Amino acid sequence: MFKTKNLSVKVNGEDVLKNVSLKIGEGEVHALLGPNASGKSTLAYAIMGLPEYRVTRGGILFKGNDITHLPIEERAKLGIALAFQNPPSVKGAKLSLLLKRISKQQSALNLKDFPLDYSLLEREVNVGFSGGERKLSEIMQIISMKPTFVILDEIDAGLDIINLDKLMRIIQDKLIDNGVSLLAITHRGDILQFLEPDVAHVMLHGEIVCSSKDWRKPWKTILRFGYEKCEECKERELSSD
Amino acid sequence: MKNVKNAKSANYLQINHEIRKMLAEEGVILKSSSEAYEELEWIHEYLEQKPEEGYFVWVKKQIGYPISTCIAISSPKIYQKPRNLIIVENGIKAEIYSICNAVKLTLYGKHEGRTTVILKENSSLKIKHFHKWGPEDNVLSSTEFILEKGATLSSSYKCLSPLKKLRVESKTLLDSNSSANFETAVLAKNEDAELFDSLFLNGDKSSGIVKLRMVSQENSKILSHSKVAATGAGRGHIDCMGLLLSDGSIINSVPELLNQNKNAVLTHEASIGRISEDELNYLRSRGLTEDESTNMIITGFLGETITYVQHSKLTKS
Repeated sequence: MFKTKNLSVKVNGEDVLKNVSLKIGEGEVHALLGPNASGKSTLAYAIMGLPEYRVTRGGILFKGNDITHLPIEERAKLGIALAFQNPPSVKGAKLSLLLKRISKQQSALNLKDFPLDYSLLEREVNVGFSGGERKLSEIMQIISMKPTFVILDEIDAGLDIINLDKLMRIIQDKLIDNGVSLLAITHRGDILQFLEPDVAHVMLHGEIVCSSKDWRKPWKTILRFGYEKCEECKERELSSD
Repeated sequence: MKNVKNAKSANYLQINHEIRKMLAEEGVILKSSSEAYEELEWIHEYLEQKPEEGYFVWVKKQIGYPISTCIAISSPKIYQKPRNLIIVENGIKAEIYSICNAVKLTLYGKHEGRTTVILKENSSLKIKHFHKWGPEDNVLSSTEFILEKGATLSSSYKCLSPLKKLRVESKTLLDSNSSANFETAVLAKNEDAELFDSLFLNGDKSSGIVKLRMVSQENSKILSHSKVAATGAGRGHIDCMGLLLSDGSIINSVPELLNQNKNAVLTHEASIGRISEDELNYLRSRGLTEDESTNMIITGFLGETITYVQHSKLTKS
């Protein structure tokens, strides 16, 4: 379904990702854990194809196609979607208009499914949105795209437990239950208990240092000793191939 | 053509030099400006001579519908010189949608419109003015707004279709406690555009805002000169933003603040740059092509959505 093979990425001339190999099967939920500035978002942007994230080695495969050098919108059309951690504001463009443009003709959204203040739709995209509104807007846009592989970049950041619960229910209902593959990036791990990922990866200094089919194992270590412990962990389960 | 009782709107339609439609509900006097000049001597104060063409709108009572005016060119090489006068009486709130356009792209038309707007004490006017011309047309639009005490003006002007030469001038005189809010959006493509706004805060507690949005592409040149001058203790602000989309295009934005009252506050902000890569990539990540993303950003920047909706409504009406 989705694979990166020995992926190395430079940003502004600096090596950020080193030999990242990741394999996500159809309908699988993977978590990518790691401290701030470990390279998690860089991986997300490189997968999405943002121009300043330059692949210097390795490649990205999606549904058997090499997408390493495809333009952003082509990747999106193939079924890849990214929920941005800090999406930019698009002044003057209403969220309702963007959702309409994304869906082209037939909307995949049923607005009743969202805990939504409808006035949000008539506001300019991400202009003055609260943290919760921003996350909700990202998820609505992504569901509109009808993707098959979704990257959630720190979707739990800045959300209170009630709003996180609401958002997770939507993700479960609209994405996971529909067989969409997920890569959930998080450094706090609040979403792990909601998502119950099939595999949890730990990224440090631009490398995946651990991949475990039991997400509780690395997470317990991280909770107890911090991410530093992962560097010296002797029980690393590097399972990616 | 007469003022019609029980009409649910007030409309003026002029094509080339001929008035095709002119009706108004009770409370609004709508005439050709030449007819008004002959009948109403007191308006000679505002019209220096008998106009050849154009409209006279006098909102005497509160009405529940917007007034719409349309001055169009439909034949080749027409030279229009409409001279318009709008008067809103004391305490009345009015709304005007105004379109000036060419119905075809290659008519080589010339349109020189001059309008005087008088807002009497405590009156309020929202005026939305749309221009839609062809690439060979030359257009000059000049408006003088005179705001008496407590009057409120909200004026938006948009010209998003490319033409050969565009010059838009506005001069606004504000008495005490009056306020004027201007929003101007111009999209220039192979075009020479000049935008001149001047606001004179003559009365205490008067306020004025000029908001300019300019997009210059394909060898276009936009010059904007916005001036706010205060002799009264008012507040004025100029906000100019430009997007330069191609090499060979120019935006020259000149703000001018002239303060002659120590209790007045005048400010300005301006920026001219390119489209944000972050915004562009964000929209592309949603499956929009680069062109679609660019269009959406420009549309939002110019507030075109509003224009488009209003324009559709007007066209239907």
